[in-house]
Amino acid sequence: MSDNLGFALEGAWKVLFAGLVLGAGLPLLFALGIRSLAWGAGGEAEVHESGVTGPKPQPIGTVLGWVLFAIVLLGIALGITFIVASGFGKALSFEHIYPTIIDKH
Amino acid sequence: MTESTVILALVVITALGFDFTNGFHDTANAMATSIATNALRPKVAVALSGLLNLIGAFLSVEVALTVTNAVVKIQNSDGTPKESLTAGGGEALLIIVLAGLVGGIVWNLLTWLLGLPSSSSHALFGGLIGASIAGLGWSGVNWNGNGSKLDGVVGKVILPAIMSPVIAGVIAAVGTWLIYKVVTGVAQRFTDNGFRWGQIGSASLVSLAHGTNDAQKTMGVITLALIATGDWTDTKNIPFWVKVSCALAIALGTYLGGWRIIRTLGKGLVEIAPPQGMAAESASAAVILASSHLGFALSTTHVATGSILGSGVGKPGAQVRWRVAGRMISAWLITLPAAAIVGAVMWFIGDLIGGLGGAIAIFLLLVAAAVYMYLRSRREPVGHHNVNDEWEGAPDAEKVPAGAGSAS
Repeated sequence: MSDNLGFALEGAWKVLFAGLVLGAGLPLLFALGIRSLAWGAGGEAEVHESGVTGPKPQPIGTVLGWVLFAIVLLGIALGITFIVASGFGKALSFEHIYPTIIDKH
Repeated sequence: MTESTVILALVVITALGFDFTNGFHDTANAMATSIATNALRPKVAVALSGLLNLIGAFLSVEVALTVTNAVVKIQNSDGTPKESLTAGGGEALLIIVLAGLVGGIVWNLLTWLLGLPSSSSHALFGGLIGASIAGLGWSGVNWNGNGSKLDGVVGKVILPAIMSPVIAGVIAAVGTWLIYKVVTGVAQRFTDNGFRWGQIGSASLVSLAHGTNDAQKTMGVITLALIATGDWTDTKNIPFWVKVSCALAIALGTYLGGWRIIRTLGKGLVEIAPPQGMAAESASAAVILASSHLGFALSTTHVATGSILGSGVGKPGAQVRWRVAGRMISAWLITLPAAAIVGAVMWFIGDLIGGLGGAIAIFLLLVAAAVYMYLRSRREPVGHHNVNDEWEGAPDAEKVPAGAGSAS
């Protein structure tokens, strides 16, 4: 029992950490992307006083928004690669910082 | 055709039946939030989830033959069945597996009828544990593993069930809170439309991961039965037809959609807005993937429920129906013992009658229970037409799905 509890707690911390980075970090980037797009679109996309025209569009916001979405998409692509790789007996390795596909031991 | 061949056929049919219930029981895990926020039309959501489960099941080529080893002792560590159980055509093992599967299915159907998202893996493991206790005694169960790694009923079932919903809930709460901080000042119509897309993406990832995780279990059980009767000998591979039929069973089940459970998860727990839905599904996907990477077994149902609760906690001013959550958690607690009792009773009935007659008897009992519960469900049908009705009171206003021209 105590052995199992130790193993479980050890795993739980790793899952919590990875989960916070990917499961809360990527949505955060996505939200920042939406925010930038709204800034880029201006006008009705942003909350403003009624009766007056909304803030001016900022084209740089649109660009920034799509860059952020691209990063999120890369994160998702990594997730899918992971599922597919583990299905074929491979694993993702992060030892070179950037992910590489290696054989599972 | 010998007696054991007929029993084997019953085991295969029952296992595929379990896989099917596993599918519709878990549609909600991936799609409840997208359906509740109208990111996807209900029918489209279940079709997408079914397709991704089908693909996922084929991606899981890793051999899951030792799946039962986590909880019961009916297999050797290389996946072959224990010799003592395969004497006389493998009937002893087949009856244990059959009784266990029946326990899992009956519990899955009952919780579906009540609209409770309980874990399908707990139901399967519970059934197998009960049937093993009945057939082999207390020592037939792997309670605690051997202390060298996370194993046994405690390590593979109970501890993950306590921890995974909490972890998922924390991640979803943090995600939701951050998202709402970031998008203050952006018009709601603008954010909702964007987050619906994020939701669809993250929910799809959960569906794919579900297919790879859950279809494997049934593939392993069927292959174990085939080895027990001597119809298959390779412990490194799973017969192709087993893979195809399991993938189809789980995909069809998912497509059918467990509307009752989708309703509870999508509307009952928390009133979900698109940003919460995206935070919840992202948290689920991240936890499921990170855990399977670390070999930390868990139930998608527990993770998804924890995430949705977390998204309610993280949104300032959101209402969480803790009464519904409490009902769910009590269902989780009794899933394993309840499925175990059904599995054990089934084994005793099968053993009392003996041989082929016993196997047919439990199979017929399963069919009777399934038909009864299906008929009960027709009294108050829940389907794609009313899945999103208000939990209490007035009917829901019409909302437009993402990508259906609501950008104006």
